[in-house]
Amino acid sequence: MNLLSDWRERVRGLLFKRRTERELETELRFHVEQETAHRIREGADPAEARRAAFLAFGGVEQFKEEVRDARGTRGFEELLSDIRYAVRNLGKHPVFTAAAILVLGLGLGASTTVFAVVDAVLLAKLPHPEADRLVRIYQQNPSNRWAISTVDAQAIVAQQQSFEAVGVFRAVPSGISGPNGPEQLLVGRATAGFFDALRAPVAVGRPIRTSDETPGAPAVALITDAMARQRWGDPARAIGQSITVDGISLEIIGVFPPATRELAGVRAELWTALQLETQPRRGPFWLRVVGRLKPGATLESATRDLAGISERIFPLWATGFRDQTAKLTPVPLRTTIVGNAGPQVNLFAAAVGLVLLVAIANVATLMLVRASGRAQEFGVRLALGAGKARLARLLVTDGVILTLAAGLFGSMVAIAGIRLVGEHVTDLPRVHHVALDGRALAFLLIATLASGLAVSGPAVIAALTGRAGASLRIDTRRTGSDRRTGALRSALVVAEFALALPLLVGAGLLLQSLMELRRVDPGFDPEGVVTATMALPVSRYGDYLAVQTFWRQLEQRAREVPGLSAAGMTLSLPPDESDETNNFDLLDKPVPPGGAEPTAPWSGVTPGYFAALGVPLIEGRMFTPADSGGALPVVLVSAAWANRYYPEGGAVGKQMISGGCTSCPPTTVIGIVGDVKYQGLAGNADAVYQPLVQGMARRMHLVARTSGHPAEVLRGIREAARGLDAELPVATATLSDRLGNSLAAPRRWTAVLIGFAVTAATLAALGIFGLISYTVRQERRSIGIRLALGAAPDTMTALIVRRGLRHASIGIVIGLGLTLLEERWLASLLYGVRATDPPTVVAVALGLFGVAALACWLPGRQAARVDAREALTE
Amino acid sequence: MADSSELLQGTLELLVLKALSLEPMHGWGIGHRIGQMSREVFLVPQGSLYPALQRMLRKGLIRSEWRTTENNRQARYYLLTPAGERQLDQEITAWRRASGAIEGVLAFRLAEEG
Repeated sequence: MNLLSDWRERVRGLLFKRRTERELETELRFHVEQETAHRIREGADPAEARRAAFLAFGGVEQFKEEVRDARGTRGFEELLSDIRYAVRNLGKHPVFTAAAILVLGLGLGASTTVFAVVDAVLLAKLPHPEADRLVRIYQQNPSNRWAISTVDAQAIVAQQQSFEAVGVFRAVPSGISGPNGPEQLLVGRATAGFFDALRAPVAVGRPIRTSDETPGAPAVALITDAMARQRWGDPARAIGQSITVDGISLEIIGVFPPATRELAGVRAELWTALQLETQPRRGPFWLRVVGRLKPGATLESATRDLAGISERIFPLWATGFRDQTAKLTPVPLRTTIVGNAGPQVNLFAAAVGLVLLVAIANVATLMLVRASGRAQEFGVRLALGAGKARLARLLVTDGVILTLAAGLFGSMVAIAGIRLVGEHVTDLPRVHHVALDGRALAFLLIATLASGLAVSGPAVIAALTGRAGASLRIDTRRTGSDRRTGALRSALVVAEFALALPLLVGAGLLLQSLMELRRVDPGFDPEGVVTATMALPVSRYGDYLAVQTFWRQLEQRAREVPGLSAAGMTLSLPPDESDETNNFDLLDKPVPPGGAEPTAPWSGVTPGYFAALGVPLIEGRMFTPADSGGALPVVLVSAAWANRYYPEGGAVGKQMISGGCTSCPPTTVIGIVGDVKYQGLAGNADAVYQPLVQGMARRMHLVARTSGHPAEVLRGIREAARGLDAELPVATATLSDRLGNSLAAPRRWTAVLIGFAVTAATLAALGIFGLISYTVRQERRSIGIRLALGAAPDTMTALIVRRGLRHASIGIVIGLGLTLLEERWLASLLYGVRATDPPTVVAVALGLFGVAALACWLPGRQAARVDAREALTE
Repeated sequence: MADSSELLQGTLELLVLKALSLEPMHGWGIGHRIGQMSREVFLVPQGSLYPALQRMLRKGLIRSEWRTTENNRQARYYLLTPAGERQLDQEITAWRRASGAIEGVLAFRLAEEG
């Protein structure tokens, strides 16, 4: 069969149905007239000829039907009529339709949103060509993974054999000169190999070359298309302009194409050449390395290659770095960017899937009830010769039309949901890639059609297995509910409870862990504490003396701000901004040769810091000006640190080698201070402080305790900073906000899961409410008889409620089983509570049971109020 | 199968193709021509031609267009498509082979009978 002519005829028959019919009519009439004329020519009587012509033709209507069949449009026409029928039917039950569209639309919209998130965060490719060949290189020992040192980076670049290109980079927020004063923006520094490895060419100008990496080479910058357009209107005009970063003037040599917004997961507006100098020691570890595997090279071969480099360079620097278990290790770039978002995103994908299933079960129940209300209509249809397949198609069309409407609503929900995610879930990696794109729309369509089949499935089963004769009887009410329909409906309600329980348990556990987190003592009283962060550019603060002078003056001037009661400088801020993690080796408890040294968050502070934060000195002494002189290195440790390494006590006075510097004089612990969290509220409270003057840094935080209005004190601090340097950007915050922000992510996840759980539980309650109401209506007569025979009304209620609760209980028991499955995803999100915390699980199960009892009791009460006489005479 | 004039299944299409291979015709003309050609052996209800024509349109063997007859009437004419011509050739060959074979079968006699 010729496909083209086949479809041309079908489409013509379908689209120009009226014209086609008219043509058929004309053609057949022409035939009969032609035949009549022919017979007259052959001598027949005109009236007789016409009759004979019709006779010879055969049944006109029958052949018309045959022609219509031959057009091959039957299936479509039936489908169209089914659709018209379904739409009319939905319009006749506006409440049912609205409820179903709302429930399913929310479910589909939420699923699509989560799909878009999963797709962008976990599944989608990175915006680099052949990104599966890109790796990040780390230092890794059996317990830890950290950054790369200059020495490592230089060794990798010189010795590696596995990569066709390898580059070194590092990104820090920096002050960039702008039309409206200095701005804090993320600035990347990278070697030419970095751009080669990512295959990130510039659109205009020239890329960064290896000649730019030589220390002392003119400072150059590549900027994003967005920045070029914003500042100069046109990328071409940006070339050759100068831009100031942290006080250093850079020449713009190139602009990236508009699509290049992030490189290796770093969304920096400006990239400059990283210039690495020769180092006297192995550390510090501060760089990132990215490489593109050669064709044929694998992660395994690269691992061997890099481990070889580690072994070769280890002896050269063994005096300063003694962890022989640390190996340079490649990790797929995607893994490093997606990071540990996996369990969270999986958990929410599962949660939203459960909600959608509950919604489907709910709507399926509604469809089932409606279909059994139409049992009589179906009986008539079957009796008139409609095939069962035809009937099933009718029901499925019904369901699919309904879910298509819900899907349309769902797409709006998804648009809103995706916007919400983009605006509020900023801690998720790659969240800016989340979009309602073709893949998300395809997912929505497939999910919509699948739910269409799913919601109509039970009704189809009921219709196909029901007896046609039974439903033909006029009084369907008195035949009692069809057993099979009842069983299906019960199964659906059981499923709803089984699916809702794990959601509720998850929400309960997250809520509990959030409350645990709020109970965590951050180690300080955040009330009235403010912070101001500044970074001093190299250009204007060339030597350490200038840096030191600035910070010292700032601290002094800040203390004069009215309303400020204590102030100090620090490199790290609680609860989750730890500047540096340092390794150390206790002199009296040394690490065995080749073993991994312990590490702790390491911060530099001025003595005023502890006063400003309200952290007490527990043992030993505070820093004195003499400690800052640089005589012998001294540190204060947190109580948690002291307990970890000296549980027997006596930490004060102990000595250690810090940072692997064996040639440096040992560091002495001079005191123990109260615990402060630097690794998030869920992290431990280990901390080591050294006096700041011994190691002044360019980027620091001023912490101040206020007795007056925090906003006014912050204004005073800004003025003080401006008095010292008018061009310095100052970022301010209150510690309460910082503490609140550190809880923002868990709070948000908890809120979302609670939302899902409450939705599911509500749907389940509605489901069982509907089931029991229906049962009571169906059994009015038998209830009436029992009441008439003297049954107590309360007994009737109890009977009905008990029956409903049996369904709920079965569902809850199955749900408990499902709860065990979610443990894996939940565990990493929980703090201070186990994923199978029995009290939570039991409380949630009982709560859901209570909700079910209420949902059954309301219709159950109706049973007690049945008027026996009325019910019997109906 | 008492009526010897009853059309063999699928033969109607062959006859229509043959009729149209001579000249484009309208439906009545095709029926009339088939009757003439078969010396009135094949008498079919004339109406059954039209479903067959619709099927052949879908198969792409023929196409149709509205033309004016000698009597100045609008009528739907059917024309052979190249695919239809090929189909006619194939069916004629197949028919000849089949009818030859059947002839042979009917003419066959065993030696002892002859």
